[in-house]
Order: sequence, then C-alpha cells, then structure tokens
Amino acid sequence: MVRTALWLLAGLLLGGLIHLVVVLTLPSLAEETVWDRIGTLEAENRIVVMPPVEAGGENPFGLDPLIIYGICQVDLSTGPAYMNGVLPDAFWSVAVYDRDGTVIYSTTNRDGIGTTLDLGIFNAAQTRLLAQQEIDINEGLLIVESPSDPLFITVRLAPPYTALRTRYAEEMANLTCGTRQ
Amino acid sequence: MRFVFHLLLMVAVALAVGFGLSWYLLTDNRFFGVVQSGPWVAWSDAGSPSPNPYTRAHLARAGVLQLGQAEGLQFTATTDSEGRPLTRDCSYRIEGQTPVATFWTLAALDAAGRNIAAPGTDIALRSSTIVRTGEGAIVVHVGTTLAPGNWLELTGNGPFSLVLTLYDTVASSGFGSLDTMPAIVLEAC
Repeated sequence: MVRTALWLLAGLLLGGLIHLVVVLTLPSLAEETVWDRIGTLEAENRIVVMPPVEAGGENPFGLDPLIIYGICQVDLSTGPAYMNGVLPDAFWSVAVYDRDGTVIYSTTNRDGIGTTLDLGIFNAAQTRLLAQQEIDINEGLLIVESPSDPLFITVRLAPPYTALRTRYAEEMANLTCGTRQ
Repeated sequence: MRFVFHLLLMVAVALAVGFGLSWYLLTDNRFFGVVQSGPWVAWSDAGSPSPNPYTRAHLARAGVLQLGQAEGLQFTATTDSEGRPLTRDCSYRIEGQTPVATFWTLAALDAAGRNIAAPGTDIALRSSTIVRTGEGAIVVHVGTTLAPGNWLELTGNGPFSLVLTLYDTVASSGFGSLDTMPAIVLEAC
C-alpha cells in the first residue's frame, strides 16, 4: 500500500514537471500562431482592412464584429517603421505586436491624440541613432522602441453606428504604413 | 509484475496530471493569470508587454488578436451567475452595472468561436445603442425566444459563451472596479 502511494506520488511529481514543460514550450511549439495567420493577409508595408465578421462565419483572429481592423506588417531590419494618416472622429486605438503576438505598445485616441495617427517605430540601434543625431521630432509623433524587428501593427476603429462602417473602413484604408530605408 | 503495474500507474497519473492540468489551466484557467468577477473571466495581462507564462501559452494556443492594455479588456462568460453552463435552450438576462469604459460591446459565440446572432439582427450590442434603466444600469435579454427591451437574439442550439469587451476601461488597471460587472440571470428554459 505504501509502495503504491509512493509510485502515485512520483506520478504526480512527474505530471507537474510535464505541466511546466508544456506551459513553457507551448509558445514555441504552437502550429498556427497569430503571426502565421497575419502572414496570409499580405499586409507587408501596407494597411489591410480586415473583412467584417459575419454571423456563423469563421473568426480565427477573434475579432469584435463591431470594430473595423486594419493590419500592417513591418520589419525594422529594413529601416524604422511608420504609420500615418487621419482617422474619423470616433474611438480608435493602435497596438504594436511582436512575432509572438505580445503587445509591446498600445494607445487610444482618448489620450489626446485626436484624429491624426502619426506613429514611428524604432529598434534599439535606430533609437540610439535618433538620439545621437538630435533630430527634431514632429509634435504629436508617437515614438515606440521595439525590442525585436519583425512586428505587426493593428488599428481598431469603432464606428458609432453600423451605417458608418463602409465609409470608416475606406478612411482607414487610406492610412500609410511601411519602413523607411 | 507488480513493478510493471506500478510503473504503468505512475506514467498514467503523470500523463493525466501533466496534460490534463495544462489543458485546464490554458482553457478555463481560474487560478493563474486571470481575473474573475462572478461568471466573467478575463486574462488580465494578455495585453501587457510581459505576460506571465500561462497567459503567454494561452495566447499561443488561441492565436487571436488580443487587446493591448491601454485599449481595453475582454471578459468571457460560459456560465450564468449560479454556475450553470449557458445554453441556447434557455434565455438569460444580463443586468447591473458595468465598469467605467468609453464603450463596450457584447457578443455571443459558439464553442468554435463563431458569432451566433440570429440572421438579420444585430451581430453584437454596443453600450451606446442600448436602453438603460433610470439608475443607468443595463438589462439585456439574451436567447432564442422573443424578449422585450434590449435583446441579443441568438440562433441554433447548444452551449454558448458571452463576450463582453470593455474599451478604454479602468478595469484594466485593477480589481476594484470589477465589482460592478453585471450578473447573468437564468430566465426560462
């Protein structure tokens, strides 16, 4: 009886070890990550407005059906990234994700930004260069320092009424995004 | 023979505990990395630059676009306030206050994450377009049977979940305001 209990205890300890290994290795072993899914959108250096979520349809990104999403994929190894443009006078937000799908930066237009989106993303070396050259920064430019080069940027725009969705999506499509050599 | 039995028993326990615990904690985690208020559960640091290992593994498994911390917080409920699983055989009433936010949206999903709003109806509800009580509280009916007032009309049958997304909310910054999450009350089956 005691021997069986010891074997059970060993099984519990081994199970705990397996659990820790699963939790810690899952991010690197996941087969279809959000980065893989973003890769199918052909959003390199341009903004892609996501199609609206429909009732009964697949929603692999877990999108909110009342929000308009714009996505742009950039690689800082080719230069600092930017996203510029004017968005409608409604709630919008912007988030910068790394390859793992972790949000490294996010903000909303409620933080006093208004309707103009002017975002610059730099890696550590580019940020250092920016500081050394003492380049004048435009007022209102959001500067993000990224720890990694491959990134994607997501803009969320919330039309107050469904009837405005098409017009707001067209305005989001006018945003410019990419990297500067 | 006894040694082989004990070895098989240990391996079975280890596999069941190791993978079972991982599946549970990364799917319906009520222990690590989540905040809970009544039936509503959220991965509170999903939008942070350095999520904990459980949240990181959950995000890798889900593969969805989570909200950044400054953008908002998403809550999911799979049961009513009494702990009974939500099913389209019953109708429910969501009532009470919501945490301070610029706005929120409410949608119903099936187990595969597909929106289950009835065809021709609102695919989701938005806080700015619903009728409130005199005290500012919300009363939203959810189900497949006709209901008065604010109604999120569903279609089909089987279990479902409710997703309440708070945008630009104070709920991202701490637990205190989560006391104001609304209740999910079973009305009829």
